[in-house]
Amino acid sequence: MNSKFLVKKITSYLLILIFAVWCLFPIYWLLATSLKTNLQTNADPPMFIFKPIIDNYRLIIQDPDIWHVFFNSLIVASGTTFFSLVLGVPAAYVLAKFKFKGNSDYSFWILSTRMAPPIAMLIPFYVMYNNFGILDTHIGLILAHISLNLSLVVWIMRGFFEDMPKEIEESSYIDGASYLNTFYKISLPISRNGMVAVGILCFLFSWNEFLMALILTDDNAKTVPVGISKFVGYQLIKWAELAASAMFMIVPIFIFLVFFQKQLIKGLTMGAIR
Amino acid sequence: MDSKNQIKLKLVNISKKFDLTEVLRDTNLEVKEKEFIVILGPSGCGKTTLLRIIAGLEKQTSGEVFIENINVNKKDPQDRDISMVFQNYGLYPHMKVKQNLEYPLKINKVKNKEEIISKWASKVKIIEYLERYPKQLSGGQRQRVALARALVRSPKIYLMDEPLSNLDASLRLEMRSELKHLHEELGSTFIYVTHDQIEAMTLATRIVLMNNGKIEQIGTPQELYSSPSNVFIGSFIGSPPMNFIEGEINNSFFNSNNIKDLKVNNRNKEKVYLGIRPDDLKISENGIYDFKAELFSSEYLGDGYLFTLKLDEKKFLLKSQKINSYKTSELIPIMIDKNKFHLFNFDSGNIINN
Repeated sequence: MNSKFLVKKITSYLLILIFAVWCLFPIYWLLATSLKTNLQTNADPPMFIFKPIIDNYRLIIQDPDIWHVFFNSLIVASGTTFFSLVLGVPAAYVLAKFKFKGNSDYSFWILSTRMAPPIAMLIPFYVMYNNFGILDTHIGLILAHISLNLSLVVWIMRGFFEDMPKEIEESSYIDGASYLNTFYKISLPISRNGMVAVGILCFLFSWNEFLMALILTDDNAKTVPVGISKFVGYQLIKWAELAASAMFMIVPIFIFLVFFQKQLIKGLTMGAIR
Repeated sequence: MDSKNQIKLKLVNISKKFDLTEVLRDTNLEVKEKEFIVILGPSGCGKTTLLRIIAGLEKQTSGEVFIENINVNKKDPQDRDISMVFQNYGLYPHMKVKQNLEYPLKINKVKNKEEIISKWASKVKIIEYLERYPKQLSGGQRQRVALARALVRSPKIYLMDEPLSNLDASLRLEMRSELKHLHEELGSTFIYVTHDQIEAMTLATRIVLMNNGKIEQIGTPQELYSSPSNVFIGSFIGSPPMNFIEGEINNSFFNSNNIKDLKVNNRNKEKVYLGIRPDDLKISENGIYDFKAELFSSEYLGDGYLFTLKLDEKKFLLKSQKINSYKTSELIPIMIDKNKFHLFNFDSGNIINN
């Protein structure tokens, strides 16, 4: 029995290891590439043993363009997260807690915004943005990202609010609290984990989004994923600098996730009340 | 007006439909000041719905609710000045016990919050848990917190929805007596929902017995026990329940397969049930008996025996203080207490005055 247990344990660790390597290898390769010279990046067969240099990073940090796209991304991702939650959470609450005519229709309409691939909306977006004069602005890109994120926020949070035992809110009504007060003082604090989780997903989505950012922005408001692509030139691709700037862009997300990992898992796997 | 007779709550023709299912039908009820009303009934009889309609958490399909003679149909739960204890307690999980108790006081801008909280917290014995979160408490402790939260205000009516059903037996017994004591001490109006007839019998000043969305009988526990108005009430109230024997009345005599010529005060010829409580049947020792029945089993209860007997392949119960000297399958001679039995119409189940 003991050996059976051991085999089971080894097998599961092996599977996890394979999966981890599968996931982490690209990041390792990115890191390795960022520490090579441009010549080494093109070596065939690929070099695993080399003398790491940090010149690429020095170059990147001194490049004002990189800082520009970095802050653009920060503004757009934060703005998207903030407004998606501000709009989506109350909407989810109303859809989850109040019965009214057309309730499920509204939920479906909100979800249906995700049924077409974003590229299908790109041309109408472009034309509209051109007419309104919000091409290449932060607010313009934030609006586009909110429209793609809102359904996610509404559907996840709606599930969260639905799982919340109704007695908790009913107690609050009986205690004399208004519907709005109950929302602020009871329902919102209880669903904090869910909001953090959804917020992280919004932030990640917006930080990584490429298509909308590529078409709807230019020099002024372009974000990290678009910025990185500038290292792909007409005649050569500067792999080392590209990798270094990509690493530079991953780091904030990485730190962010390390801090909020617990809440992300809690929020996505558990109900409101445990 | 004498405050004791003041009408606290009045329900007029309350009906409730969920889609097409009717869960409450023309329900009428008057509750006076200081009453402890227990709404009793099997699960799904509409008793919780009725309580939620009183609280304003559910809107009735038709009918009127009056609290202290004011029509509250259009009022939200916030404006009805009631408090409620839920079956699952409904505590605020993100607040400590103290904040849970403080919340209704804050909302209603009550002064002397600290004083009131410590008064009630010590009364329901949770003073040492004030700094804990609900999830750090046991079921019984949570129950007390929920109770304290309902008590910190002085509402017009206290509503309770099966507040003891999640507790274990001994705790339930303890809380039951505490609730009864509290009711007398507070001198206020309680409306309490339960499916447990013992809870209802012990707590209520009056019981409202419900079945299938309508009120079957309203009365004191004694009234419901000694004069049930139909077969359902007889079988629901009392533990063990009432026995029913099928038979026929003819010329003021009741006859069944086994019982011959039992004198009744009813001349009509009709099919009936004879209802008799297990305590009102006796094992005959002098050779005079009304019928004989086969012993199926006997259970020792401490203060006596509970006999399960078989009559026409139907089981019925008899309670006796006497020591059991019979063997299984033996025929036992049995006497019916002539002042204690009831007759019910066979078809409608309603009582026949005899």
